[in-house]
Amino acid sequence: MNIIVCYKLIPDSEDMVIKPDGSISLDQAEQVISEYDLLAVEAGLQLVEKNGGKLMALSVGTDKLLNSKSKKDILSRGPDELYLVTDASLANADTSQTAKTLVAAIKKMGDCDLVLFGEGSGDLYFQQVGLQVGELLGLPTFNAISKIDVADGKLTVERSLEDEIDVYSISLPAALAVTTDINVPRLPSMKEILKASKKPVVEWSLQDLTITGDGKPRVDVLAVRAPKSADRKRIKIEGSPEDVAQTLIGYLSKEGVL
Amino acid sequence: MAKEIWVFSEKPALLAELIANALQLAKADGASVAAVVVGNQQVIDQAFAQGAQKVYALGEKAADVLLDDFIPTIISLTKSKTPALIIIGATRQGKAVAGRLSAALDASTITDAKYFNQDSGGIEVTHLIFGGGAIRIEKANTATVVMTQGSSIVDALPPNASAKGEVESVPFVQPAWKATLVERKQKPPASVNLAVAKKIVCVGRGIAKKEDLSMAFDLAGILEGEVAATRPLTEGLDWLPRERYIGVSGATVKPDLYLSMGVSGQAQHTVGITDSRVIVAIDKDKEAPIFPQADYCIVGDLYQVVPALITALKARK
Repeated sequence: MNIIVCYKLIPDSEDMVIKPDGSISLDQAEQVISEYDLLAVEAGLQLVEKNGGKLMALSVGTDKLLNSKSKKDILSRGPDELYLVTDASLANADTSQTAKTLVAAIKKMGDCDLVLFGEGSGDLYFQQVGLQVGELLGLPTFNAISKIDVADGKLTVERSLEDEIDVYSISLPAALAVTTDINVPRLPSMKEILKASKKPVVEWSLQDLTITGDGKPRVDVLAVRAPKSADRKRIKIEGSPEDVAQTLIGYLSKEGVL
Repeated sequence: MAKEIWVFSEKPALLAELIANALQLAKADGASVAAVVVGNQQVIDQAFAQGAQKVYALGEKAADVLLDDFIPTIISLTKSKTPALIIIGATRQGKAVAGRLSAALDASTITDAKYFNQDSGGIEVTHLIFGGGAIRIEKANTATVVMTQGSSIVDALPPNASAKGEVESVPFVQPAWKATLVERKQKPPASVNLAVAKKIVCVGRGIAKKEDLSMAFDLAGILEGEVAATRPLTEGLDWLPRERYIGVSGATVKPDLYLSMGVSGQAQHTVGITDSRVIVAIDKDKEAPIFPQADYCIVGDLYQVVPALITALKARK
């Protein structure tokens, strides 16, 4: 079976700089693969290992995707091929723009049996792109998938909802977004890292694709800032463990929370 | 047609909160509030009791039918009526409804919206990004705006059992595809509901091994509180069930007392504890980001401090 796994390159939040006016800067942040997408890659890899076929990774974004380190990073995690769509206008794409671009790329990539997504991106965490892509492609589409098996050209999946786990039988092709606990992604081996730079990479611009619509965002971003932190007392308690315990109990009973 | 704000959730308690929020937003420009309901007369009556002025009744759902099978009906209804706003309960199924609906409407859902602020040009909302490390103020520019709202963002109104309103029956639109429900396994009932806990002892990676969790349970026992954890302990290490996880994709809590041991305080976790009344942090790293966010800061070895605290609390009883 041929599987496409979509991933997003995001700024590492550890490198986020909060400016004195409360605004944030990510200009210097390192670009990393969104953590939740790694579970979708692993899920795709396990399916291909078991059932044959190939795993293709796909991402859309700015030319930061073309950085050789990023390309090597995703390919060392198992995909056989990499497809990248880049354009400066995708820097702040909303979920609708991202989904439409992915749909156009998936159509151009040809036959595929399954499109996989992570639960949501590590930066914006809308948890929407996989669902939108599936709907636009007219495919059976589900989120919250915590287990995937394939047999006789059908998928059997577990969907982890708030109070229950549903088991569905779904026809292929389909689009699925996986949970944050579906698997534990393996670390790239030295062999995979060496192999990564030899794998095929296809690079497209927006002009290479047929994208529907006006290309404009549906959600406008009015402001981005650091959250205001509540004023906390920040009282340091020091001393021997016994003294610390007594002092803390004193404070907490005064607060009326014991 | 007068402007309408719609609400949809398969969870009755959440639906009541969505209605309360929609009524608040509708006040500003004379819109009316309609609930889109999959369910029987009782569910419809409940929507009216909580304040809905109209109900679009999609019918009852048979046990082997998926809520997702109603999405084409919701899409078709939304396209024909063009409500100004549809607020969907932010459950996993709710997010599936929102995503597929917004794709069909050529819109983009704002998920987990908070702090709804209405002005003449539409509704601004706050949406956490980077796992709570930053917030964005967003405004959708589509004819129908789609948002999802989680629990405890707005309080439900007291129900008025005698309230009634117009019911419009909506014919079912056959979906182009269906999944077959093979089995439905109830998750074991949650052993803990952190959202309502008054006291919480939270453990993080500073705990060296699973056996040491007993210390946290001992402390929580004396405090008559619950044990919670950061994500690595519930996903990855699997030392505790996921329902005990506080953070961006887990629980949000507002206890009187939150006491952490060995929690470093990454934004992905602390986004879930900001509404706690009193925060106590115990960690050996004096640079840990939890300390600036705490009321009482104990830099020390939790393996010494926590047993001493347990002994002192026991002695007090």
